[in-house]
Amino acid sequence: MRCTRPTVVAFLAASLPLARFAAAQKVTRKAPTAQDWAAIAKLPDFNGVWEMVFGGGAARGGGRSARVAGPPLTPAYAAKAQAERAQPAREAETANCLPPGLPAIMGQPYPMEFLLTPGQVTIVIEAYTQVRHIYTDGRPLPEDPDPTFYGTSVGVWEGDTLVTQTVGLEHVARGLSFPYSDKLRVVERFRLTDPDTMTIETTVIDPEALAMPYSMGTRTLKRHRNWTIAEYVCEENNRNFVDAQGKAGIHLANPEASPK
Amino acid sequence: MKNTLPETVILASLLVGSTGLALAHHSFAAFDMASQRDISGTVKKFDWTNPHTWVWIDVPNDHGSVDTWGFEGMSPNYLARRGWTRGTLKPGDKLTVTFRPMKNGENGGMWVSGKRPNGGVLLMGGAITDP
Repeated sequence: MRCTRPTVVAFLAASLPLARFAAAQKVTRKAPTAQDWAAIAKLPDFNGVWEMVFGGGAARGGGRSARVAGPPLTPAYAAKAQAERAQPAREAETANCLPPGLPAIMGQPYPMEFLLTPGQVTIVIEAYTQVRHIYTDGRPLPEDPDPTFYGTSVGVWEGDTLVTQTVGLEHVARGLSFPYSDKLRVVERFRLTDPDTMTIETTVIDPEALAMPYSMGTRTLKRHRNWTIAEYVCEENNRNFVDAQGKAGIHLANPEASPK
Repeated sequence: MKNTLPETVILASLLVGSTGLALAHHSFAAFDMASQRDISGTVKKFDWTNPHTWVWIDVPNDHGSVDTWGFEGMSPNYLARRGWTRGTLKPGDKLTVTFRPMKNGENGGMWVSGKRPNGGVLLMGGAITDP
């Protein structure tokens, strides 16, 4: 990463993990031992169902602390952002039932279930019935990943904080509100601030699009010990559509067509 | 149905204030979010489905028959955690619906709240208040 400003370098060194990359390779995992399972019991108690707390004044991405400024885009990407704003609103983005990308998928008004197992943290996301796999078995990030909605994630425990890094994010609608390159890296810090409160601090790094790492603030989630994750099949009864001109509409005819 | 949790009421007001819903599947593009209307009728059907619930209301028209209006609400996942069930609205229930109308003038819109003849109120954000 090219960083010319000393303050940025200092910031990076102080708070962001180093990314270790290697050519994609198949990782063969050994069968977990009793010690591996015992080690899980010593980790912070993330297991269970959590829902984001709304409010806090954030204009978008509720549950976040207020943001001081927008993304510090490089001149080239500031121009891209301006060109995108000049385009007509993309009303198709929410009509087709596609989930948002990372990090927006972590800010939906539906709960998420965290599962800790040896070498892996799994996040079951109720919205759109999605899942994230965060590998904590020491594997490196892939150098040239196929881009996907949630990318490839690895994580390490820094004390009681799970620090994850994600690369390989597809350019999908509703992931980030600004243009980014294929060098985008998302850093998330998960920790418990009390037994039933989790915070997720999200920082994005992109040496092409961002002049410096961009802190997107902190989301707060509450644990709900009596909740379970429910099914959410968006295609079940989606009446939203866009017409040939890209205008959003809703199928209001024939209520009997609904499946139940 | 009683639902007296203050946090639910706060959440409901936040959502109606449009903070949270923008994050869901919900697109506001088809609705006139600057206006609000009331309409009264009889529940024809209640779709307890994702990504949205749909409340279908038969409303008497000038021709001596009824028009069916459709109102989009929050998902069953969201509402079920806030006191609603698939039986909260039943065919035949009398209801006055407050909604954001369709921009194109079609018979429907985005559910804001519903009021029963006995004064009970059903909010989109999930809160239910009985008289």
